Amino acid sequence: MEKKELLKNEQVERLLSPHPLSFMKLQALCIFVIVWGIVVWWLVNSSQFGNWLSGNPWFPFILWALVLLIFGVIASLIAIQWSIFFLYLMVVLGGLGLLFWQHWENNSTSFIALFILVYSIIVSIAGFLIVELYRRSHKYYITNLRIMFKGGVLTKRERTIRYDKISDINSRQGIFGQIFGFGTIIPISESGFGLGSDKSMAGGGVEVGGTKARLFGFAGGGKEVQTPIARSYYELHGVYPFKDVQKLVENMVQSHVPTQYQKEQVEFSKQQVDIQTQMRDLLHQQGRGKPRTKTVKQKPEEDEQEEEPEKEEEAFPQEQVDIQKQMQQLLKKQRVMKPTKDETEEEEEAEEEEEEEKKKDEREVA
Amino acid sequence: MATVPLDYDVLLLAPLALIIGVTALWLLELIFIDLDKRMLGKLRHKHEALARFTNFTGVLFQALSHALGYTVTHSGVAHFQVSVHYGKVEPKREKQGVFAWTSTLLLYLGPFLVPTGFMLLYSYFVLTKGFSFPASVQYTFVHTFENFGGTLSTFTQSMFRFLSSMDLLNPVHVFFLLVLLFLGLGIRPSYIGEERKEKVNFLYDLKNVTMHFIKKPLYILVFFAVVYGFFFLSLALKTNWYVALFSVLGLLSVIGIIALLLAFLLLAFVWASDKIAPGWRLVPFLTLPISYGAVRVLFFYVPRDNILGWSLLVMILATVVVTLLLIKYKKTNRFKTAGPMKHMRVADGKKRASQK
Repeated sequence: MEKKELLKNEQVERLLSPHPLSFMKLQALCIFVIVWGIVVWWLVNSSQFGNWLSGNPWFPFILWALVLLIFGVIASLIAIQWSIFFLYLMVVLGGLGLLFWQHWENNSTSFIALFILVYSIIVSIAGFLIVELYRRSHKYYITNLRIMFKGGVLTKRERTIRYDKISDINSRQGIFGQIFGFGTIIPISESGFGLGSDKSMAGGGVEVGGTKARLFGFAGGGKEVQTPIARSYYELHGVYPFKDVQKLVENMVQSHVPTQYQKEQVEFSKQQVDIQTQMRDLLHQQGRGKPRTKTVKQKPEEDEQEEEPEKEEEAFPQEQVDIQKQMQQLLKKQRVMKPTKDETEEEEEAEEEEEEEKKKDEREVA
Repeated sequence: MATVPLDYDVLLLAPLALIIGVTALWLLELIFIDLDKRMLGKLRHKHEALARFTNFTGVLFQALSHALGYTVTHSGVAHFQVSVHYGKVEPKREKQGVFAWTSTLLLYLGPFLVPTGFMLLYSYFVLTKGFSFPASVQYTFVHTFENFGGTLSTFTQSMFRFLSSMDLLNPVHVFFLLVLLFLGLGIRPSYIGEERKEKVNFLYDLKNVTMHFIKKPLYILVFFAVVYGFFFLSLALKTNWYVALFSVLGLLSVIGIIALLLAFLLLAFVWASDKIAPGWRLVPFLTLPISYGAVRVLFFYVPRDNILGWSLLVMILATVVVTLLLIKYKKTNRFKTAGPMKHMRVADGKKRASQK
């Protein structure tokens, strides 16, 4: 990250990237290809099914492709990501294309099995490299003002979230994460960025009868659950060490969120300013006959209350009564307002100090 | 079938033979667990993830046994949670008396029986000739013991024969080996408590089980009554049910001991590789598959008898030789301390960092 990207007074607290094992779901897809390739090769060459599979040179390939595609469909349904199926479809079509391109389709069953084994290993290694590139494209910056998520192999993606805009923090750590010490943290913004929904649908149909009579039925159901979910570019995906990062983010959010005490203080100050503004307007009305719009620098309240109404009484005796009443009401309101405990204590302490000083002065005088 | 003379040997001693046998095997298993844990303790500071993994497997087996205990006693499982550091199983209904006693006993003994039980089922399909129970039984102390030992001996021989001629290109065999290692890393005594306990050794487990029995002496009597009753039933029907039942318990212990032995070898291998300089540390691990693959290719072109056994032997020998050579010539030269230096305190009590 370049310095010019940083804001004023911004410092990078931590630079993170996902743990190598945090994309285990993607790596598992590659592992399955390699394992299934080995199994098919073993089934043809060393198992008791070898004779059955040797019946036609295409049997091993059909078995390999079918299982791969069925697994792709199941994985896509579970992960709600159809790209997995199309990825496996590409692997199958790639293998088929290679067989025809090199004219290997008429070779023996054991050759086809060996081709499947070697092809699976090569495809898996390529898959592992792509996953690693994808992982390395992720960069997370935790600064003292915000969290920045950057990434993208070809398309660059970026998300920035300020700590005061984080409404909730979701953390999760799977078994691998617990063993190796990494985990995922999703900061959910006030706008709902970081929240998604899990949907599941089930459907089925049945057709009974031949050409004359048909009965068709369909049953389905759906469920939607609101859950914290985000793409790996927009969450702190698989960060290590998880506990430390989690604590850092929690602390940052905590330091940027106003506490209840601070909120009360702000509210109290607002009310005070409001009353003072109203009182100044009244005083100005007394002096010139119209309210002031500009904010006036505050003066000690007691002086205003004591001095100015007396002057007004002389100038506008009838209007002065109303103004005085209004001012008295405001003063009452101001007195009724209670500052928070800390402020009361401070005032009490200040009063006590003043009393002590007075007593000292009196003693000195005596 | 031989006639059964009813003397004190048959009536009193013979049923005890198998209880003693199974208990001895279980004690042996506890000693192997302690050996594994000691080795793991040596690796812990460098292989925290491995330690966490073994902890997780241990907690998983314990939680499964605990849940099984509540299910068997019809208490029901209200809450089930397993993590790397702890497991939690809560019953739906708190039961007292024999139900609570049984569920706690399953908690203590379950980790030795439940996972190995699954492994026994798996080995039934892999070891075709490993299971033979004697048809005729002479119901004396010595003969009962002999039959028990014979069953275990047949199984153990079959298991070692299988392990020594395993085909590492066969997915079923490889999976069997992995499950066996997983089992070996996870079998350990149960511990339940709010406080974190660093070490739960075999003495702790023995103490737990002993206290569990001593607390309820009546249950011990009931246990012996059931065992003797089952023995006399077998005797009356002239069957080998009694020996078969205790032989299964013995087989579970044998599987556990073999799994622990393999896990110990794995841990020792990791411990030895730690002595090698970082750049070369991966070489022994790569030697395993490369040497095996090379020998299998060689035997593919030069066929001979017992290819699988020779391939395994060459793989193990090559790995041992490479590891020893690397330890001798590429030993790590890092200065090691028992604890991190930055946490060491000097005499004046101030915390100081290590100097670079």
